[in-house]
Amino acid sequence: MPGEAKPDFSKWHGMDRATIQWGPVIDESKCVGCGLCVIQCSEKRNVFGYDEEKRKAVVLNPENCMVGCNNCQVACLWDAISFPDVSGVKSLAKELVDSGKSKEELEGRLKKNPNLRLQLPPRFFKRASLEIVRPSRTVRILP
Amino acid sequence: MSKTWHGADRANYIWYPKIDYSKCTGCGLCLLSCGNDVFRWSDQKGVPVVANPGSCVMGCTTCAKLCPEDAISFPDDPKNFLKQVIIKEKVFFAVKKELKDRLDKYPDHRVSIEDVEAWKKAEKGDANARRS
Ligand code: SF4
Ligand code: SF4
Ligand code: SF4
Ligand code: SF4
Repeated sequence: MPGEAKPDFSKWHGMDRATIQWGPVIDESKCVGCGLCVIQCSEKRNVFGYDEEKRKAVVLNPENCMVGCNNCQVACLWDAISFPDVSGVKSLAKELVDSGKSKEELEGRLKKNPNLRLQLPPRFFKRASLEIVRPSRTVRILP
Repeated sequence: MSKTWHGADRANYIWYPKIDYSKCTGCGLCLLSCGNDVFRWSDQKGVPVVANPGSCVMGCTTCAKLCPEDAISFPDDPKNFLKQVIIKEKVFFAVKKELKDRLDKYPDHRVSIEDVEAWKKAEKGDANARRS
């Protein structure tokens, strides 16, 4: 939209996004041009372009791709999209935790948005895994 | 109105993260990474809680991929799950329209592959020129 500031994806938790190996690559010979990847990606990030004449998707803004996401790859029935191995971003995630950066960011987020805090009864945590879902509906637990 | 996924009713499908609290260390990365307001935070235990499972994006596993402890799991393999939804719901009618809408709204994403390749080459050339 005119006049609207473009979101800045140049940093990922303080790291320079350009140094992080993560983004889709399309094998044009497999792409049938269904278009699903294009709209799987959010409007905000809008990583893909589309060639209507050739009927193929094309990676336009790889630097906007969200680190750790591969929703476009998952949706492609023709397996035309590939990503780098996930171990790279997993070790970056570990760095964020070990350096205390994630804790710091979390505290900031909770301070800014106190509604994220929940009070839950202790029995809630008795089970190792938790299910609070009725399949047909989103259950909102708010304090 | 409930959410839809390319025409399919989101409420008919089960897709949300499950946290194994015996593994979770409370680092908070999952909450920080999710752009869909799925998690809340429990101060008593210092751990995330899946509070809005219906807001989780169908087939997404971003938080699980980033979780350093591999404490997050999903009901199915994401690719297998989405494939079934795509086929059962015949989503490509909706996809075709959504694709057109997206390209109408962002006309600079209506491209030719040759042009994009030429831009990329030029960009690389620029970067090389700057380096030398
Ligand atoms: S989802 Fe796969 S086949 Fe469809 S346009 Fe994207 S890359 Fe091509
Ligand atoms: S991985 Fe996610 S953010 Fe990246 S291009 Fe695919 S849908 Fe977009
Ligand atoms: S990313 Fe994993 S370990 Fe960290 S808070 Fe979330 S579930 Fe727990
Ligand atoms: S899978 Fe994606 S949408 Fe769902 S909770 Fe994790 S990051 Fe959020």
